[in-house]
Parts: sequence; structure tokens; C-alpha cells
Amino acid sequence: MHETYFTGGVFSSSIDGGRAGADIELAHDAIKASAKDGQLFTLRYSDCNVEMGGFNNKMVFCRNEDRSLTIFTEDKKFSAALAFAAGGLLDDQLQAGKNKVKSDKRSGRNFVLICMVCLVVGLTGLYYGIKIAGSAAVDALPVSVDKQIGRHTFTGMELGGEEIHDPVIVGAMETIVERLAPHAALAGLDYEVHVVRSEQVNAFALPGGIIVVYTGLIEHADQPEQVAGVLAHEISHATLRHGLERVGQSLGVAAAVNLLIGNVEGLVVLGAEVFKLATVNSYSRGQETEADSEGVRMLHAAKIDPLGLAQFFEILKEEGNGLPASLEWISTHPDHQARIINIRGLVAELGPQDYEPLDVDWDDVRRRVDDMN
Amino acid sequence: MDHEIRNRPSFANIKLNLSAGESIVAEADAMASMSGTVTMSTRWSGGVMKGIAKRLFGGESMFVNEFTTESEGELILTQPFPGDIECIELKGNTMFLQPGAFIACDPGITLGLGWAGFRMLIGGEGLFRLKVSGEGRVWFGAYGGIFQKEIEDEYVVDTGHLVAYEPSIGVKVGMAGGLFSSFFSGEGLVTRVSGPGRIYMQSRSFDGLAAWTNSHLW
Repeated sequence: MHETYFTGGVFSSSIDGGRAGADIELAHDAIKASAKDGQLFTLRYSDCNVEMGGFNNKMVFCRNEDRSLTIFTEDKKFSAALAFAAGGLLDDQLQAGKNKVKSDKRSGRNFVLICMVCLVVGLTGLYYGIKIAGSAAVDALPVSVDKQIGRHTFTGMELGGEEIHDPVIVGAMETIVERLAPHAALAGLDYEVHVVRSEQVNAFALPGGIIVVYTGLIEHADQPEQVAGVLAHEISHATLRHGLERVGQSLGVAAAVNLLIGNVEGLVVLGAEVFKLATVNSYSRGQETEADSEGVRMLHAAKIDPLGLAQFFEILKEEGNGLPASLEWISTHPDHQARIINIRGLVAELGPQDYEPLDVDWDDVRRRVDDMN
Repeated sequence: MDHEIRNRPSFANIKLNLSAGESIVAEADAMASMSGTVTMSTRWSGGVMKGIAKRLFGGESMFVNEFTTESEGELILTQPFPGDIECIELKGNTMFLQPGAFIACDPGITLGLGWAGFRMLIGGEGLFRLKVSGEGRVWFGAYGGIFQKEIEDEYVVDTGHLVAYEPSIGVKVGMAGGLFSSFFSGEGLVTRVSGPGRIYMQSRSFDGLAAWTNSHLW
């Protein structure tokens, strides 16, 4: 059984203001609307033109021929009740109205969907655009900025141990760096090696070329080539300017504004803060892979066996089961198995090279490190 | 209670003369001045949750003020931005107002918040709109002048110019023209409304003001 009474409204020029709410009745042969101002309106089913739409696409409009009278309601049961009351007279019009509403809804949904897709594509483009622009801006900066950021960072840094000046140990590290330096991808860096007494198995290079090696790392290396592998990897972060990229990404707009107004000093201070706040070695996975490739290239060019890097990963992998906290370097360089495979793959692709041993008395270096403990 | 909208259209304000026992509901902060005989009480706009929702999504205050007098008094209401004010009388019908447009109404009017949909968000009109219904007068404001139009067939309104519309109005958001002209004509997206029903538009848009101001900042 269909309902007969509904709540809705009327548009008519005979109402002051042209519209009013109304109580609607589906009578025997006509729609009757009793407006709130007391006027009664009647529209015969045979004279009725049905339209559908409104803001929610749920409204049914019953209008006379010249559209001077419109009776409407949003009641969802009205459509079926009207079809029943009109005895099939309005079925075609109601069906056409429903089809139009369906089509409007579909096109509305499609439009929203297209806008959402455009928004996602736009945001993705913006993200990568900023990244590319950031890289380009970093490339354009003089090397002196790297040096200043590195110096600022190093000055305020807690190294976690006492710096040692043993000429044999420090000399061995300098020998390695001197072999690598001529083959660096970025010219103009001033390499400076600091050795710190600590159980930490760790080493890092700051922007500009300041290199810090922990005695724990030397203790764990069987061959100087293994330390050379680690140092080549770390120097690559500096020569590929990964630190500056990180500063650019962390500071975002602040870095861009400082670059735009030429305030390099401001960028240096902000950049050093970024380094102090984060772990020095926390580079992205992409940057680590890049540093592996560049390190291998540098080692190969310097005639140092690049497999030393892979071997060092293997040593740490064996010793690192349970990962003691002192194995700092391995904890910031995860996925070592995949990287060993990657490094071996890179070495296999390189052309033949006559590797020359490093001019270092490694046994003496290890003994002196042991004596310190 | 008689009323007068003065200083139209740029700096319109509403002057109401309240008689004993009459009251008016107004948006918080809408009062500019009033007689000492008029008292004001503040309440949540439709309850705590609805009040918060109106603040968050409807561009309105969480509270409304009800002004009343036991003798007689004058009340001046205004809006925060320059522009005209319109008064409509509802007779059991409903009107949708864009966020921030509502100023005042008779106590017989119900204020509700309705979902406007993502299409309206994309069109720059906001996710929600205020729904006023019942019997009585409603005053709403706009930035710039207000003009109304009876809509039968499709009519195009630039985004940000629609202030109020009846529920019988169908609204679609689309591009102003083709891809090229939509991007380079400065019109971008437009609102396509279809009747039957009445819409109220404002002659200026806040987005237009913001863009104009922005262009003079650099």
C-alpha cells in the first residue's frame, strides 16, 4: 500500500515570495498541495510534467504545462506512490527522470574521480619536482658550503670516545684516503682523518671530507682493503653530496629560501643542525646503493681490491648475529646480504685491473689498537 | 518586529526594533550595538556536537546569541566583511547557505548543517553548507552585492559566487570550457546550477580578493 500524504513545497507566483512549504496529497485524479500560507493548489495527473533532480538528485517535481506551478518533495517514497496514484499515466516520465538522475550521478562521480586522480598526479609531480630541483640546487652550490657544514657539524659533535694520534694507526688511515682521493667524483674536498678510540664498529664522512674512523672498526678488519672498502663507501657519501641532499630535503622551504637570498651562512648553520639532530650515517636506501656503486668504482680506479667492502660486510654479518649495540655501522647499513650480492655483481662488471696492495703494516696497526684496550 | 537593512550595499547592517517579548537569534559576534534594555543570552548552536560541527565545517560559530527585551529596544547586527545583506522569509521551505553567510534569524527557524559533497569541495564551495528551514525570517550576508535569480534551465556561476540556494537546485561542478580555456581564461572551475529554484549570488568572491591581494604582495 502506498502512502498518500507527503511533506514538500510549492513554487507559484500566487504565493508572496513565490514559494512555501506544503503538505502534499496524492488524491484520486490530481496532486493537491496545501501551502503553509493557506492556499490550496491542484495539479491533475493528466496535466502533470514530471522532472527529477535537485541538490541531492532525490527531488521529484510535478509541474503544469507553463511551469507556473511546481509541487515538489524529496520524500523517497513519493515516486512510487505517484506512479501508483496516476494509474500508469506518468510511468514513462518517471522512468526518464530516473534515467537522467542516474546519468547525472555517474558523470558527477566520474568528475570527482578525475579530479582526485589529477590531484594525486599533481602532488606526485610536485614531490618529484622539488626533489629534482633540490638536487640541481645542491649541484650548483660551491664545495666550500660542504666544507663549512662539515666543519660546523664536527665542531659541535660528541664523538663517543677520545681521539687518538698514534702515527701508525692514523697514518694507515691517511694512506688509504690518499690512495682514494685522486679518484673522487668531486674535486676540491679537503680530506681530514680522525681516529677515535671506541668499541663502536663505525666510520663516517661528513660533507667536505672530514672522516672519522673508530678503532672498533679497525679491530674487526682482517685486511686494510676491508677498511678501504668502508672508507670508500663513506667518502662516496661526501663526494656525491648526499649530506647536502639530506639537508635540502629536511629543511625544504627554509633551505630553498636561504639559497634564493644567497644566505649560505644561514644554510650552513641550519644544515649543521640537521646533522647534529639525526644520526650521521642515516642515509636513504637509494643513497646507500649509490655510495656502494661509487665506492666500488673509486676502489677499482685506485687499484684497491673492491671485494674488501663485501668481505667486511661478511665479517660483520657473521659477528653481528644478535647485533650488539657496538656494531653501529652495520645497524645503519641494513640488508647486508643483498648488498654483498650487489657489490660482488658490480665488481664482476668491472674490467680487469692489477690491484696493488696498500702500503700499510696491518698487523702493526691491529697490535697497536689491541694495546690500547 | 520591524527591521531595516541600512548602508547597502557596501557596508550593510541590520537595524531591528524589538518589542516586549520579541527575540532574535544571531551569529556570535554579529552584534554591533544595542539598547540597554536588550538582553543577550548565549547558547550552543543546535547543541554541543552540532555547534562544534558548525564551527569546524560550516564556517559558523559554535554559539549563537539570542537577543530579547522585556520592554523595547534597538539592535544593530552586522557581518565581518564589506558587502550586502539580504532578508528572506521562509514559509515552511528550506534554504541552503554557504559557510559564513548566516547572520541572524527569527526563533522559529531551525539551523542545521548538511553534507554538500566532494563536488562542492572541488568547486571551492566547501564540504558542508548550512541548512535553514522553518517559518520566519533569515538574514544572510555576502561579500559585495547580492543578486538573486530564478533558475529554470542550466545556469553557470563562477566558483565562490554562490551564496544561497534552494534544495530544489541541482548543482554540478565542471570546467568553464575546454581544457585550454578552463586553465587560461582565469575561470577554471564553474558551478552549473539547474532549476527549478532560486539562487543568490555575490558580486565579489573571497578567492578573487585573495588572488588580487597576493599578486600585489610580490
